[in-house]
Amino acid sequence: MDRRLISVLGALVAVLVFFLLIVWIGGLINEDLKLDETALLRFVFVGIGLLIVFVVYWATRSSGVWEVGTREVVYMAIGAALYAVFSYLFNGTVFAVPSVSQVALRPAIAIPMFFGYAFGPAVGFFTGAVGNMFGDALTGFGLSPQWSVGNGLVGMIAGMALLFPDKKKGINVVLILSTVLAVIGVIFYALNTELANMMFFDAEAGIFGDAQISWVAGLSVVIGFVLVLIVRFAFGQNIDVASAVTWSMLGNFLGIGFAAISDIWINGFSLSVAMVGEFLPAAGPNLIFAAILVPLLVGAYAAVQRQTGR
Amino acid sequence: MLVAWRYRPRRSLIQRFDPRAWIIFFLCFMASSLMFWDLRFLLPLFVIALVTIFTSGITWHESRRAWLFIGAFVIFFSVLTFLTGRGGMEHYTEEHVIRTLSAPFTIVGWRPTIRITVERTMFAISQLVRVFSVASMTILIPYSLNPIQYGITFRGLGLPDKIAYAMELTMRFIPTYARDFQLTMDAQRARGYELDKLQGGLFAQVRKLAPLIVPVTIHAIAASEDIIDAMDLRAFGVQPRTWLQELHYRWRDRVLIVFAVALAVASVALSLVGFGRLWVPAWALAWAGG
Repeated sequence: MDRRLISVLGALVAVLVFFLLIVWIGGLINEDLKLDETALLRFVFVGIGLLIVFVVYWATRSSGVWEVGTREVVYMAIGAALYAVFSYLFNGTVFAVPSVSQVALRPAIAIPMFFGYAFGPAVGFFTGAVGNMFGDALTGFGLSPQWSVGNGLVGMIAGMALLFPDKKKGINVVLILSTVLAVIGVIFYALNTELANMMFFDAEAGIFGDAQISWVAGLSVVIGFVLVLIVRFAFGQNIDVASAVTWSMLGNFLGIGFAAISDIWINGFSLSVAMVGEFLPAAGPNLIFAAILVPLLVGAYAAVQRQTGR
Repeated sequence: MLVAWRYRPRRSLIQRFDPRAWIIFFLCFMASSLMFWDLRFLLPLFVIALVTIFTSGITWHESRRAWLFIGAFVIFFSVLTFLTGRGGMEHYTEEHVIRTLSAPFTIVGWRPTIRITVERTMFAISQLVRVFSVASMTILIPYSLNPIQYGITFRGLGLPDKIAYAMELTMRFIPTYARDFQLTMDAQRARGYELDKLQGGLFAQVRKLAPLIVPVTIHAIAASEDIIDAMDLRAFGVQPRTWLQELHYRWRDRVLIVFAVALAVASVALSLVGFGRLWVPAWALAWAGG
């Protein structure tokens, strides 16, 4: 463990020295040098995201939800592979799911949510992050590693449900948090209804992110939120389903929020563009999938568990 | 049943290197391409990608589908950004118009107009080169990396045993699930399930995806019991693992790693001091009357 710690510290020092050298050598060549760090920032945000994961792990490490045995290793691989295949098939051009009123459909997001909730935060994070990475690699678009971490966070937070032995309590905490986040999202939309939807492209009409955000896309967070609430109370008896959808909702808000907010620095978006142009049209539809597909997966998995007795 | 990627031993540049060295090179290559929008910096990377492709020993026949897909994808996105100008906006502030094309007709009062500008053209070309380099280097990997060595490769790159094994299984499962998906889709179609045209509103469409997503996912989980049992029987995770195959760096692998790291460090340094942003040649500006 000590050796590993030393090598991590060594790497950090090397990075620091590298930056100092650049500043020094660059300063010799060009007196008024301004570092242009935009291209590098996405890696910085990958680092920040991993740091967040590590801090959460460190804070909750005694609870046992992070334990990784044989079962978890296999579930990690299954989740990541499924997420990669589904994102390739649904988000790519092979099996194009049409977008309705500017809402691009990414049903694959239900996979990291479900795997996180069913098998714990470690499996959820791996599923989201590695699955997104391989999914991007399949389409040849591995250019936004910070979104992989964002997807990983979706799965990880969905898995934090296991931290609450009393599921009802967990649901209530999550619902309050999510309400606050959804309200913030709506306020941003209400103040900036004229902004463009950055997540949307429509090849046929030649529109690629320059269309003004539609009200459906802008309010999709509310639609999704209401849907999650309906599921939560309609399945009040089946606490597993209620818990899965609410935790998926929080994971979706925070994970996609992380990726969208990092684009403020990476792509130079303003806060409102990141919120209205990216966060709402990505996080809103995801909620709709959380509300419809996650309960189906939870139910089907419960049936398998009953059959096999595992 | 596992379905494999189309790996086979070939006399190729990639396979002459240790897989770990190649993955390091690949990651550094990706990071370098990410740093630049300048065509002059992207072209050397593009040449590296071309050399790798042409020495890979992979025939057109076996990789046709992958190339067609990537080609279509890359061209689609480049043309899309070119036509709409969206995507490059953060890289230039001013546009020099070469020509404005207006359609001779109107659609509900809207006349499709394309402004061809020097900046958009350069951005589209740069994007094409950039994405093609990254995508082609990526798709060569499953054709050239021996599946037996996935695990030891990731382990050798410093990942813990369990994560290395999870990565190996992920890579092995992807083609399997793609096949399962196809089977499930065919089975649902045989039951008269309409998949080719997803119609209806938002919720109806989402609901219609469930008969594809749920069976594939649940089948994968149920079938994994065999794998879990097999791993448990071999006492997986009890002690540090040993791997059947061993990898040893040779001098050429070290050379490749040094080259890769130097490439990445140089790219990061260059982009930090401000090189590599979108390049618009002066003669093109002059031509456009700027």
